[in-house]
Amino acid sequence: MMRIFDRPRRTRLLVALLLSAALVLVTIDFRTKGEGPLDAIGRGIMAVIGPLQDAVSHALRPVGNFFAGFTQVPSLKGEISRLQRQNALLEQREHQVGDIARENDDLRRLLGLGKRLDLSTTIARVTGVGPSNFEHTVFIDRGSSDGIRKDMPVVAGAGLVGRVVETAGRSARVLLLIDPSSAVAARLASNGETGVLAGDAGDQLRFDLFDPEAAVKLADEVVTSGYQGGVYPAGIPIGTIARLQPRSGSLSRRVWVRPFVDFTSLDYLLVITGERTTR
Amino acid sequence: MIYKRTLLVALLTITGLVVETSILGEATLGGTKPQLLLLMTVALAMGEGPALGAGFGFTAGLATDLLTGLPAGLTAITYTIVGYAVGRTRAQVQTPTAWLPAAMEFAATLGGVLLYGGISLLVGQEATGGSALVVHALLAACYSALLTPFLYPLVRGLGARLRPASALR
Repeated sequence: MMRIFDRPRRTRLLVALLLSAALVLVTIDFRTKGEGPLDAIGRGIMAVIGPLQDAVSHALRPVGNFFAGFTQVPSLKGEISRLQRQNALLEQREHQVGDIARENDDLRRLLGLGKRLDLSTTIARVTGVGPSNFEHTVFIDRGSSDGIRKDMPVVAGAGLVGRVVETAGRSARVLLLIDPSSAVAARLASNGETGVLAGDAGDQLRFDLFDPEAAVKLADEVVTSGYQGGVYPAGIPIGTIARLQPRSGSLSRRVWVRPFVDFTSLDYLLVITGERTTR
Repeated sequence: MIYKRTLLVALLTITGLVVETSILGEATLGGTKPQLLLLMTVALAMGEGPALGAGFGFTAGLATDLLTGLPAGLTAITYTIVGYAVGRTRAQVQTPTAWLPAAMEFAATLGGVLLYGGISLLVGQEATGGSALVVHALLAACYSALLTPFLYPLVRGLGARLRPASALR
């Protein structure tokens, strides 16, 4: 009797119980994805962790920046060079923007589309990033009590960031565009060719154009296409074509997009809460 | 005396999650975030034995799962196995060296990330696979080894302070 309950056996029994419980949880989670009791517990943990993240990221941001800077030193040289090239490109663009904006305004007035992209938004601050290396998410300091709901699109100044996937009272979790499970209906701004854009766990996004013969070239701009009942409104900038894959005779054409948003340094974001009702 | 263990597990899980997602969240090494809760699991398993290692691994892993959109239970399975294996391995080492904690953190993180990737593929998740997974596991393992001198003594110290007289080791 004593041997049955000796310590190594008790430990093995404990581990067996824990693993069995974990397997049961995996099964429950697969069956009730999105609205089960585990999601409610997850929201509870977010509600507890959210304010702590907010306080810690406020108080210890310099420490976090120190760690971030320390680990990023090897890539800073390349980053400076990339930013210099980007700066030159932006200066060139600046000259074009005024004219394009005026032309765009005229067209919008003509077509009566001015109000369509007039979206109501809520500013949110990033308080933390997801704990897993197998998922790309961030936490923000706005939640259901601020009117944030699941599937609301999130943008930064440069372009599309992702969408809200979970909310608690004062915090929410945002799935980033670079996550492999993220998919967005997108189109080329130049000719309107559409496709599906998805994350690829790297710094570029995979863009499958529906038309295998679509005319596409490097540096073409990609924006959200938007469709009835979709998550993202049309016309939100996403990025530019960075790499073309040779035509392979498949039913779609794959190209790669470099996003406008730098996902490693997100700070303030805009959550699109809906269209304005002032029309 | 079970309350001391419960307090230890709850305190370390919440602190680990907050630090991992806020302060260390953006401090990536080659795009890989530190696996702070796994590092804590290993430290506790080495100091307090396989039972607490597995128990803390389960709690920390489940908390991580519930805070992400990934299937609940996969990280819990991984951390439980790692906690138990490290505790058992440590018990076999008669003369530990100063390098043992860092070596153990490196090996356990490497094994843990590969195990998680393998389980994810088994259940049909779009986890990073192949050579990318190995690179990612190596980077995470190096990161854990680098953080060991700073965090390992803290976790071990806290574990010893909240150790009941009749601890299950």
